[in-house]
Amino acid sequence: MMQLPLLLAQASGAPAAESAAADGAANETAALSAAWLSNLACPLLWSLIVGGIGLWLLLPSAVGRFRRTTGWLLMAVSLGLLAAYLPRMGDTFHQILFWTLAGATLLGAIATISMRSPVYSAVWFALTLLTTAGLLLFQQAQFLAVATIAVYAGAILVMFLFVLMLAQPEGHTFYDRITWGPFATTFAVLSAVAIIGGMTYEITHLDDQLLTEHVAAGKPELGIDDGATHMAGLGRVLFSQHLISVEVAGTLLLAALVGALAIVIHGRPSRAAAAIRQGGATHG
Amino acid sequence: MGDVVLLKNFLVVGAALFAIGLTGFVVRRNMIVMFISAEMMLQGVSLSLVAWSGYHGDWGGQMLVLFIIAVAACEAGIGLALILMLFKKSGRLDIAFWQEMREEGQPAFVDRNLPEERIEERLWPHLTPAGVEPEEQPERELHRSRV
Repeated sequence: MMQLPLLLAQASGAPAAESAAADGAANETAALSAAWLSNLACPLLWSLIVGGIGLWLLLPSAVGRFRRTTGWLLMAVSLGLLAAYLPRMGDTFHQILFWTLAGATLLGAIATISMRSPVYSAVWFALTLLTTAGLLLFQQAQFLAVATIAVYAGAILVMFLFVLMLAQPEGHTFYDRITWGPFATTFAVLSAVAIIGGMTYEITHLDDQLLTEHVAAGKPELGIDDGATHMAGLGRVLFSQHLISVEVAGTLLLAALVGALAIVIHGRPSRAAAAIRQGGATHG
Repeated sequence: MGDVVLLKNFLVVGAALFAIGLTGFVVRRNMIVMFISAEMMLQGVSLSLVAWSGYHGDWGGQMLVLFIIAVAACEAGIGLALILMLFKKSGRLDIAFWQEMREEGQPAFVDRNLPEERIEERLWPHLTPAGVEPEEQPERELHRSRV
């Protein structure tokens, strides 16, 4: 705040304030370095740095004896710092529950992409899905939590494991131990750090006043808190406002079913078809 | 009317899940792990949508997540069928095998310094045998009525 008049004086080029301007420049650099120091004390910055290094160490391309242990330790530290940066909830119990679930989700996600065996990746992804379902329960989304467990963990993940069973070559494969090279790995980790850092900074600096006004302005026609039970409310909205979408989703599922069958059958010419073709050739 | 703090925490976790999935998709070369990473990105987006839905007291976000789950199921079915076909043609799940489909004039990606597989990674889990092996009874075997 003190800098503002001095800066204005500099900008207007007041000749009387030559020495004052020099003082102002010195003050300005002091203030800038103070701002940088306060930035250095920010947990988010350190969380990003530590997390980036940890993620880089955990990815399958890294070499070294203690890279995994070091990587996991750094990731845990990074998550703790991130949790320290975010705003606190009013209820301590909710706070602890939320961060247990969120921490398990994120650690499971990191384990998913860092495991060298795809089967372990799938199993860690199951943990991520289960804890995500737990997080959904926080937001009055009971049906979605159950659907996530039933559809994702129950159906999609089992399908992954089936395909792994059908398509896994013998032993460990070399392409699970390497990546696209150090440049691509570094680039990917940096972009992840940039996304997390940018989003976290923007989200934590959202204007609470503005958010509340937005909610007050746009009252939904059929709200979650309308008094109906969860399933009744969900069904009412799903089959009134989104009826056509439901039909389209059903058609899409049917088309996907037919498409998957067509892909698998197309790649495998059946013996009967070959025999028919040969028989036709001899007759013709 | 939701809780602003809860909303912010959820959005951060959703963004982190998305970014981790993105890293996995870019970095990994196993097609199945890439697919899992894509599903993880969908999970991150779902978390954000549900958080906004809870904050606004509106069903819209939850509806979108419902359709995300439906589309993810379709995608998994078709994607895994494709992966199976690609595996049958190439014998491996490596996405780099298909770089011959790249544009003309592009240089090929060549692996450098392939790391050796360490011995401790070659250990496979083994199950201890459970139950009791039945005793052999030759006379009962002989007298068994064969249908």
